[in-house]
Amino acid sequence: MLLLPLLRPDAAWLERADSKRIARTALTATVSLAAYGFSVGFWRSPLMGGYVAVKMPLLIACTLGCNGLLNGLLGLLLGTGLGFRQSWLALLTAFAQAALILGSLAPVTFFLAWNAPSPDSQQAHTAHSAYLVVHTLLIGFAGVVSNVHLHRLLADRAPSRMAANATLCAWLAGNGFLGTQFSWILRPFFGSPGQEVAFLRPDRMKGNFYQAVWRCLDRVSGGNPELAATLLGLAIAILCLPLLLNLTPKRTSHESH
Amino acid sequence: MPAPLPDRLDFRTLFDALLREPQALVERLAQPGHRATGRFVLLAIVSFLLFGVVLGCFAKYEQLWAAPLKITAGLLVAGAICFPSLFIFATLAGSKMSAGQLAACLAGALALAGLLLLGFAPAAWIFAESTDSFGFMGMLGIGAWLIAVLFGLRFLKAAARAAGATQRSPLFIWSAVFLLVTLQMTTSLRPILGRSERLLTQEKKFFLQHWGEQLGQQLKPANAHSTSGFSR
Repeated sequence: MLLLPLLRPDAAWLERADSKRIARTALTATVSLAAYGFSVGFWRSPLMGGYVAVKMPLLIACTLGCNGLLNGLLGLLLGTGLGFRQSWLALLTAFAQAALILGSLAPVTFFLAWNAPSPDSQQAHTAHSAYLVVHTLLIGFAGVVSNVHLHRLLADRAPSRMAANATLCAWLAGNGFLGTQFSWILRPFFGSPGQEVAFLRPDRMKGNFYQAVWRCLDRVSGGNPELAATLLGLAIAILCLPLLLNLTPKRTSHESH
Repeated sequence: MPAPLPDRLDFRTLFDALLREPQALVERLAQPGHRATGRFVLLAIVSFLLFGVVLGCFAKYEQLWAAPLKITAGLLVAGAICFPSLFIFATLAGSKMSAGQLAACLAGALALAGLLLLGFAPAAWIFAESTDSFGFMGMLGIGAWLIAVLFGLRFLKAAARAAGATQRSPLFIWSAVFLLVTLQMTTSLRPILGRSERLLTQEKKFFLQHWGEQLGQQLKPANAHSTSGFSR
């Protein structure tokens, strides 16, 4: 049974980073993300559900594929003692955990999509907004849980907690930075009510996510994007609090005495 | 105590040692006949060229060959002009490395930085293909370089300490000088990201001023350029 060791991997999980284990983990992540992806796109149309079922695993594959060398180099240079394959498996495991969480919620989100007002109804925009909020929270929750597990995995393997913390932060920054841009390129995922169903947008390679966010902040703040960016940064920091708490070493009972 | 490296230092051994056993590598470099300097320089050149091609993809056309050449030449020249001061500063810090050993370590640091730049290359390419903003692309390139050179300098510091260096400040100052030189290269060898009628410009400028001027600029469409001279 692959699911149990994948959901609760021990320190020996990364020892055997062979092709079979990597392939099984990748397959689990793909199937889970496809199931969740279908439920995400289904609200707009079943065809959109099919597209998102392909695009969600593709997003992870593109991010891990493009950052594979960098993740491996950082894992080695920051002193975790993990080789390239082990780094890859560690990250794939984290993505698979998030995928399993989301995949397990797919029946619920499918039910949600099934019951939400249809995209051509008058309440379509409200439904779309609520849909976005729910899925953003679910994805955020799955991401935090999987990264907490990834940190435990790294802390078990790395010679020091510092090395594990530094590696996790470096991986998070690198994969988050590129993954966000890939999600921009591969949009639409949720499918806005007014727009046609499409696998990719015609302007997919025009502009990037960060510039779009900056322009939005500029508009929302009436020409004071620095203030808006600061507030956004604070909001992100609050969302990341569980992860930051996990990075801080806990005091054991003999230390406190 | 790290295990000694084999007598024959091929590319694979050097690659592994740079990433996993910098201490053992420094000790091996102290012995004669390692032939590592040339291999490190080659590794650095190939890495810089490939990263340069990726940055050249931003403006395309002549920058596909000009950007890799400028980046590689710029970083090698920066290494060469900073080498005499590195020897003096490392010796002041207490290092007992010979000039040859130090040259091998500097080449190793550049090779390591190059490998990290290669790691950033796929991400940089994705953004080079999707943005027209000089500010964004410039920050991305500089950010990747700063992270890469940080690891290179860390290797250099470890090498100096393994060779007996006890004081931090001389090497810290040298690192700052080297960093400034490489950042100034982005302006001295401009345009690296954008397009121009000329391969190089004669106008002198400090890099902060140049970056400030370019931050809000966008890449112009290809047909907005003149069809003569270097733009072709």
